[in-house]
Amino acid sequence: MDEVEQTNVEQNDVLDVGYTDVPGTMLTDSNAIADFLKKTKIQDVLNWGRKNSLWFMVNAMGCCGVELLATGMAHYDTDRFGIIPRNSPRHADVLIISGYVTKKYLPALKRVWDQMPAPKWVICFGDCAISGGPFYESYSTHQNVDDIFPVDVFVPGCPPRCEALIQGFVELQKKIEAKKDKGTDY
Amino acid sequence: MDETVGPSEMIVHLGPQHPMMPGPFRLNAKLRGETVVDSEVEMGWIHKGIEKILESKTYLQGITIVDRICYLAAMTNEEAYVGCVEKLAGIEVPERAQYIRVIMEELSRLQSHILGMGEYASFVGFVSMFMYTIRDREDVMSLIDSVTGARVTHSFLRYGGVKDDLPDGFKDDVKYVFGNLRKAIDKYEELYSTDSIYKARTKGIGVLTADVAKDLGVSGPPLRATGVAFDIRKDEPYLVYDDLDFKVCTQTDGDVYARIQVRLDEMRESMYIIEQCLDQIPEGPLFPENTAYGKRSPVMRIPAGEAFHRVEDPRGEMGFYVVSDGSDKPYRVKIRGPVYPTLQTLPPLLKGVPVADIVAIAGSMDTCTSEVDR
Amino acid sequence: MDANSIISSLTGKFPEDIYDAEIESDIRTIAKVKPENVVEVCRYLKEDLSFGHLCCEFGVDYPDRNEIEVIYVIGSYEHPVILTMKALLPRDNPEIESVVPVYWNANWYERETYELFGVKYLNHPDLKPLVLPEEMLGEWPLRKDYAGFPNKTARNLV
Repeated sequence: MDEVEQTNVEQNDVLDVGYTDVPGTMLTDSNAIADFLKKTKIQDVLNWGRKNSLWFMVNAMGCCGVELLATGMAHYDTDRFGIIPRNSPRHADVLIISGYVTKKYLPALKRVWDQMPAPKWVICFGDCAISGGPFYESYSTHQNVDDIFPVDVFVPGCPPRCEALIQGFVELQKKIEAKKDKGTDY
Repeated sequence: MDETVGPSEMIVHLGPQHPMMPGPFRLNAKLRGETVVDSEVEMGWIHKGIEKILESKTYLQGITIVDRICYLAAMTNEEAYVGCVEKLAGIEVPERAQYIRVIMEELSRLQSHILGMGEYASFVGFVSMFMYTIRDREDVMSLIDSVTGARVTHSFLRYGGVKDDLPDGFKDDVKYVFGNLRKAIDKYEELYSTDSIYKARTKGIGVLTADVAKDLGVSGPPLRATGVAFDIRKDEPYLVYDDLDFKVCTQTDGDVYARIQVRLDEMRESMYIIEQCLDQIPEGPLFPENTAYGKRSPVMRIPAGEAFHRVEDPRGEMGFYVVSDGSDKPYRVKIRGPVYPTLQTLPPLLKGVPVADIVAIAGSMDTCTSEVDR
Repeated sequence: MDANSIISSLTGKFPEDIYDAEIESDIRTIAKVKPENVVEVCRYLKEDLSFGHLCCEFGVDYPDRNEIEVIYVIGSYEHPVILTMKALLPRDNPEIESVVPVYWNANWYERETYELFGVKYLNHPDLKPLVLPEEMLGEWPLRKDYAGFPNKTARNLV
């Protein structure tokens, strides 16, 4: 499926204030500040804060959704890593694609992804999100999800155990600390 | 549903991504102020085409795919498919394998009811109960894991028997887990029946009477909560259910409180059935001797014909209709899920109800969207 | 109320519409019905023989006989007998009456058979797709000559 509706929810244009210079000051915008900070040591402190509190979005789509729910609750506790489930896309940092994505559901998922504020990451959980899983021949599922979303971590299994999802989060934390992740522009 | 809007009315689309756990579906509700005037349910967000995929896989490969229809209670899906093909081919299952199948299906029913009851508590705002039930469910999952090797989707049954025997020390594990679980269920029942806020939110809400339920084709705990004692384990017994002693749990009110009470009683009956099976189980082979199926061959040709087999799923009556043309792949498989009629009853039930009760009523039906969409 | 008395009373009431009736065991019976009078037969089953529970309704495609079969599996809350009724329709223009006035939960079963096989139901209250997206209407995926199956676009296979 090639045509996915683009909803540009985040607008980062420069404000037109009516004058271009004020004596004694320098005018800039948040994009330029972020680009400048990426080259300094302050970025390491920001990354340390971001990786230790990754809030994920609860959307349970398939069989892996049950393991997602069981990981966030008692016994396989993820709260000790700073990871808690949130219901609204505006509060979340990580989108976990847990299950197959069908042609009918893909525009809704893209709209949820567009509403999440940057920085944001994607984890593919389960075989169905990686390549279609046991339904790779089906006429109604979208097999390659990483054409549309910038995926950082793939967790294989059908379904993977809860400990595998915790290891997936730990790998994402290592990637953020080494500054090699594909999270969208800060 | 009529899309024209009168004065002070509006249409709200809830979904497909919503905090109610069991999967994406969309509920369009027309509201006048705070009360619902009309509603409609839309499905199809996780349709994968399982019936078409099963036509191109052999019978043995089909077991792993059938497992994933309703992932909350995977063992009964396999029992329906395997039982239907065994009827077509005339395969007899030995006794020890039948008892093991009954034990695994009742364990699957137990963990599905614990999850459904606990999730329902989180919809009405009782989040602590959800945390308690999830922790108790992990004990049952580790019992299932010690027998089959997987937590959610098992692929444990084979044509003519089961894959593996019970491990050593299983009876002591079951005794230990059930001792704690009985005390926990008594505590849940006491918490539910003495909490005044919970009773105000559930008694008298979403009432379904027996005639309306039979007319709409409902089955399972929502039907048994209205007083009709319809249970396939008693009406059309399969495996060894006619040798076991258990009762069919019913209530008479038909509201949300009664449905939760039926699930609590069924959990106790499941534990009683498993203990009886562990006392009565005989020694013996796991597969029939001297047949092609007994040697576990992967290429099996089933004679031509058609058969319909139904089992009692935790959510109702589940049926499979298999058409075979004599080759090693099925010609057509039809899957009849138990939640299909139950979701169609939501538009009549939600008329005249305030918005805050929509989640309580829809959640008490314990739906699993994946088996409606297949 | 056992299988023999049900079949004999059914063939006695509708001698031209029911043909090829058989008894497979004491709880399973099968019969074929002509597609014109399906609603009358269903009404007699529900009111006089207490078959009040429609288990399912679906279609099977036979391209070499040039037919589509619509199968009704009907059960009951009072006795354990199940009746399977088949209606044979021509493959190029399959049309049949809808049984929604008799069995209320046939609504979604008929919508799904329409979008997967192409069977048109006359006098259905709301015939629109249920599980497929709107763009895929008209492709009839579950017929045997559908070109879009198997899908070969998966890339990350091991």
